[in-house]
Order: sequence, then structure tokens, then C-alpha cells
Amino acid sequence: MKHRTTTAITLIAVSALAALAGCGGSSGSSSGTAGAASGAPVQGGDLVIARTADSQSMNNTTVFDNESIWIFEQIFQTLYTVTPNGKGVQPMLATGYTVSADKKTYTFTLRSGVKFSTGQPMTSADVKFSIDQASAAAKGWGYINTAIKSVEAPSPSTVVVNLKYPWAPLLADLSLFSNGIVPANYGGKSETDFYNAPVGTGPFKWDYWHKGSALKLVRNPNYWEKGKPYLNSVTWTDVPSDNTRELQLKGGQAQVDEFPAWSTVASLKTTPSVTMNLFNSTRTDYLAFNELRKPFQDVHVRRAISLAVDRAALVKAVLFGNGKPANSLFPPQVPYYQAATQGLQFDLAAAKQEMAKSSVPHGFSTTILVSSGFSDDTTIATILQSELKPLGINLKIQTLDPNTVNTNQQSLKYDMTLTYWTMDIPDPDELATFGVDPNSGAKSFFTAYNNPTVVKATHDAEQTLSTSARQDLYNTVQSDSASDAFMAFLYNSPYAYATTSSVHGFYVTPLGNYHMENVWLSK
Amino acid sequence: MGRSGFVVQRLLLLIPVAVGVTIIVFFMVHLIPGDPAATILGIHATPKAVALLHQQWGLNRPLASQYWLFLDRLLHGNLGQSIYYGGSVSSLILSHLPPTLWLLTYATVLTVLISVPLAVLAATRRDGIRDHVVRAVPLVGLGMPQFWLGFLLIYVFAISLRIFPVSGYGTGFTGHLQSMFLPSLTVALALTPVVIRSLRASMLNVLTAEYIVTARSKGVSSRRLFQRHVLRNAVIPAVTVLAINIGFLVGATVIIEQIFAIPGIGQLMINAIFQRDFPVVQGVTLVFAIMVVLVNLLADMSYAALDPRVSFER
Repeated sequence: MKHRTTTAITLIAVSALAALAGCGGSSGSSSGTAGAASGAPVQGGDLVIARTADSQSMNNTTVFDNESIWIFEQIFQTLYTVTPNGKGVQPMLATGYTVSADKKTYTFTLRSGVKFSTGQPMTSADVKFSIDQASAAAKGWGYINTAIKSVEAPSPSTVVVNLKYPWAPLLADLSLFSNGIVPANYGGKSETDFYNAPVGTGPFKWDYWHKGSALKLVRNPNYWEKGKPYLNSVTWTDVPSDNTRELQLKGGQAQVDEFPAWSTVASLKTTPSVTMNLFNSTRTDYLAFNELRKPFQDVHVRRAISLAVDRAALVKAVLFGNGKPANSLFPPQVPYYQAATQGLQFDLAAAKQEMAKSSVPHGFSTTILVSSGFSDDTTIATILQSELKPLGINLKIQTLDPNTVNTNQQSLKYDMTLTYWTMDIPDPDELATFGVDPNSGAKSFFTAYNNPTVVKATHDAEQTLSTSARQDLYNTVQSDSASDAFMAFLYNSPYAYATTSSVHGFYVTPLGNYHMENVWLSK
Repeated sequence: MGRSGFVVQRLLLLIPVAVGVTIIVFFMVHLIPGDPAATILGIHATPKAVALLHQQWGLNRPLASQYWLFLDRLLHGNLGQSIYYGGSVSSLILSHLPPTLWLLTYATVLTVLISVPLAVLAATRRDGIRDHVVRAVPLVGLGMPQFWLGFLLIYVFAISLRIFPVSGYGTGFTGHLQSMFLPSLTVALALTPVVIRSLRASMLNVLTAEYIVTARSKGVSSRRLFQRHVLRNAVIPAVTVLAINIGFLVGATVIIEQIFAIPGIGQLMINAIFQRDFPVVQGVTLVFAIMVVLVNLLADMSYAALDPRVSFER
């Protein structure tokens, strides 16, 4: 009676479950067959990349967000692109250039046979339009093109760039995604409509974007590199939880896991059917001091704190060993990096000596501003708390949500905070200007650091074309900013990507971008 | 007044509720520290770029005039543009609503499917072993943090047994049924202890009522007794409990959406708050308010369906 009702309901539930499990097709391929030999690339396949957050916009001239940039770089290409080692540029849509004697006029030859995904051939008119729109003042990345006076298109396969003054980082600047080539006049569309379904010369073209869920690009049949891309499509899915991304990789729902948690790297390295990639990156993490707040205007205080930080311990605790202590404002992957830069390293005795020389020899109380939700930052702050105690420094940790932290940092309302940089171009100019020039708009990485020697060296290096002269100038920038300790350089960390072993050709440059046209899936 | 009048009256009451909620949220979200420009510009934020964006978004105007603009747009059916994405807020909300609705509906269905038989079992075998087990075991679901329970289910059913996908929303009806099972189950396992207990308690109440004794003495079969008399009367308080919990759920699905990578409204809200995407926060809050009111209206209407004593006449 009641038995039967209960039993009946239970039976229904169980059979429903069974039916559910059976229907709907397979939930993803089984883990990659072992021993899939890498050999000749295989055509076809659909790749899924599980990433940490959604893109913001496909407008390459205004966005700063990596999750947008790394996507539209598969659609828009530039005249030059960064070399795999991150130190220089190589031809992409341009095949070569000549420069005038006064170094102010560059004439580029465009590659022939390049078409947009619509089938339209790319010409110099498109290049002129693209660089002009990127330079427009109100746009986000306009400042990168400040040295450009005008762009001309004398013939369909030639582009002339006229500079206001000699400019060493020009090719690097042209390799920035903001100078990616789009059809002239957006192919007749409005800017907004164009960027909702962007068209470029790249290996992939637009399919769809379900905001918050997934963004899909499909193979461009008109791509100029013969035989490429290998993949039929690439889909970037938004999976904010580290654990879920890892489970998706293991469960076959994704073939690439972007940024697995550092604590999982060791176990992923030993998981069969998973390749744990640690690509050299230009990411450097810093501890920033606000020189508008006492006592951080005192160089001895800054040096003392920097000397008290055990960077090796941070690498172990935060990165689980996947990184290296940093010694310079510049990361090792950037051209003109000076390995001999004497960025302050752990030396407690020297730290105490600096404190003794400072304006607050008995110590002081201060706060470190940290973003909530980033366990790495909280770990660093906690370690710093105990490392600064021997100096008599009482460090309080102030945790706020990331947006508030950024806003406070940008308006210089903090004592100490954690920050970082990744390069966008293979030239130190962007970092140097942003980092040490108080008038560049970012107020020296929001620290108000002002050393006229360093500022002058940064400016001079922009307009000198001689590599040895630039090296000397950047050596000055690196050495002086290190001894001034305007920030404590903490560590360099790699770009971590876990892929299934069926993924081949996936490579991330030190700038963080990747070329999906080289990726293929073995069966 | 009748049923339709009742419904209309309740829907009209929705308006002051919605307006009140939007005022509170608008001022709250604008008064907390933080700046959407900080999200958009990241480490490249220069004061000039920030000022330019503020002007573009109208954020440099006084707060009251910003609210007026929002209300004015709202009355014309326009929820504004997302600061982060640049697209319309209403299309963002419309695309994120179905997964959350799926989650809520599926979770409610599973809750009912699990709770009702178990509560019946417990009530009819009062103080027996089965009763104690039914009351104690589901408490595990209540006590366990949802993210832990979620990952446990993923690990067992998606990774080890490969019955369900690890996460995501899926495509197509059967795809959704499959993909949304584990997340809905996670939510249901948190709801069932409360619903079981309340249903059991009200059933015990009903079982001792005089009309039950009368029906039994009239020779009504046990099954019919349960279906027509006991359940229908006992379920009313449980519906209240369920409705209130669903109301809470509307906002609390965020954690589940994070774990299972479901592109739902909770996810949209959390991201919008972090990004200080004011128009999206306001739009989603409005939707939440409407959903809570509608859920309660549905609950009230289900009382009428279940209990003929309930009428809409004053």
C-alpha cells in the first residue's frame, strides 16, 4: 500500500536517472589515447579552451583585457609579430621595409595574396585605415602611436609611415594588436556593428559569442598561410573556478586548461594524458610603495623592506616552486634586460642597517592593500607580515574587493600594495615609461617615484636607434630603479597551461599571446 | 474579485516593490568604493583615460540625475548599456536567464521527487528506524558547503562514472537535462532536509486529524487516503517553505553557477558587481525582485489549487 507508492516512486526515479544518463549522447571524448605520436599535423578537430573569465570586447584599439586580446589576435593580424622568444619581431603582413636617412620615414612592403575572411584582398588602404583608427586620441591604445605623424598608401602594396622623430620601438609598436589590420571603413559597417562580428586576415573567423558562456571562432578558408589553420574551430569557454577547469580537462570537456592553480601543477605534471606547459613569460610581480605616504618617501625604508623580503620563500609558498626571484624592473624575456641588475635580494642584516639609517629606525605601522579572492596575494601579504616584524614594522593587511583595490591604487590611496606587469610589445619602452615616468599618466606605476636621471634615460632610449646606446640607457633605468627600490621586485612566473596530450603545436610567447593556426589535435 | 483579479492586483503590487528595490540598490552600488574604469583599464589606468570613460558613461553627473536617467529609460523599456560589454543590458539578462530558470525549476522538481516519498515514509513509520534515517541523513546535505558537495558529485558522477558532463549548460533540451542534473541535485540536496521535515511534521499533524479517522473508517483505501486527503492538506505549509527557499535561491545560485560554469543570472550579477557595471547590477536586481515576487505569487496560487478552502474573495 504505502510500500507500493514509495516503491513505485523510487522505481520511477531510478529509471529516469538511467534514461537521463543514457540519452543526450556522450558527454565528451574519453581521455586522449596514450601514445598519440606527434608527427605530421592532422587537419580538422574542434578545440575547447577553458579560461578563467569572459572577454570584454573585440575592439582591438580600446581594450586592455587579455581574455579579449588573445581571442581577437586570432582574427586580426599585424604588419609584424613578436618572435617566439619574445625579444624581437618578424614579418607577418609586411614582408620588409626601408627607412629614410633621417630615420623618420619607413616604407613597408605588404605581403601579396593576403585576403580578409570575406575574400576581399588586403591592400594598403586597409592598413592606413587601421593604423589611423588605432592612433585616434580618445582610444585606449592611441598613446602607443604617438610618434607617428601620418600614414600614406602610395600603392596597393606599399605603406609609408611618417614619424615626428626617430623612434626605436616603431616595429614593436606596429606589432601590438591595436595596430591589427581591419577592412577600410569597417567594410561599410559602423564601428560597433563591425566589432560585434569582426573580420580580419587571421586564421580564424567569427562564429558566435554567448556572453558569460562561450566564444567560438571557426576556420578561415581564405587564410593566406597554405595548409593552415589545422583546426576547424576553437571555442573559449568561461570557467572561473580552478577546480572546475581541471575537472573539465580530466573529464574531456576541454583540451586546454588556462592557468591551473599553482598547487596543482606538480600533480598535473605526473598525470598521464596531460601535458603541463610552463611557458616563459614576461610577468613580473612587484610590491609597490606609495611615495606620497610617509615614510615611503625615504629610500632607506623602501630598501629595508625590499631587503627583508625572502623571495625564494615566496616562490615556494605561492608558486609552489614554479618561478624565480626577480632582480630587475624588466623581466628576463624582454630585450635590453640586464641580468647584472642588482635588484635587492633577501639580506636581513642589511635590511636592519638600512632601517637604522632611515627616518624611522624603530619601525612604524602601515597597511598593505590586497585584493580579496586572490589567494596568492593574501599568502604574500601574510608572509610579508612576519618578514617585516624583525624591522619593527607592524604590517596590517587590508583586504578589499579587486575593483576597489585597483581604484585606490590608481588614485594613490594606499601605503603598500601588490601589482604586476606583463609586456604587450617586445620592447621595454612601454614598461619603462609606465613604470618610472611620473608624467606618463600612470605616475610611475602609481607610486609617484621620480628620479630625473631615470626619466631622462627612458626618454632618450626611445629616440636612439643604436642598440648599444639603448642598452646603456636601459641599464641605467634598471640599475637606478633597483637601488632606489621604488618597488620591491618579487618574482617572475611562467604562463601555465595544462593541455591534453592530443594537443600539439600550442605555444605561448612571453607576451602571453598564442597562434592557434599552429595547433592541431591528434586522434 | 476572483482569481484573475487577485493575480492582477499582485502584479500591480510588483511595481512599487521593483521601484523600491531599484532605488536602494542604485544608491548602494554607487556609494560603495570602486570604479568601473578600474576594471576596463586594468593596470593601464591613467587619470586621463579614467576621466574620459567617466564622461562617456555619464558617471561624472550627480547621483540623483543618474538615477533619474535610469528610471526614465526603464519606463521606456530600456535597461541601458553594459559598461563592461557595451551591449544592451536586456539582451545580456535574457541570455543569462534561461540557465538560472532551468537550475531553479530542475532543483525544485528534484526536491519534490526526493522529499515527498521520503517524508511519506518518515511520517507513516513514525519513530521507526526509517523515520530516524530519513530525518538524519539529509542533514548532511544541509550541513555540507555547497561547493564541496558540488565537487564531490562532479568527481563521482562525471569523472569516475562518466555519466554526466563535468559542467556547463549544454545544448538542446536533452543536453540541458544532462548538464544541469548535477548542479540541480546539489541545490536539491540542500533544500530537501528542510522540505522533508516540514512536510513530515505537517503530515503527522494531518494524520491525526478527525477527517482522516473518518475517511479511514469509511473504508477509504490507503493510497487514496494519502493522495486525496493527507498529502494535499499536508503539502500547504511545505509549499510555503519551498517558496521562501526558492526566493533565497534566486540570489544564492551564484556559487553553484561558479562551480558548474553555468552562465546564469547569479554569475552575471557577481561579475557585474566586481566590475562595477552599474547598469547590469541594476537590471539584474530588478529581475531578481520580479522573480521573487512571482515565485511567491505562484506559491499563493498553488494553495488555491491544493486547498479549496482558499478563495480569492475578500
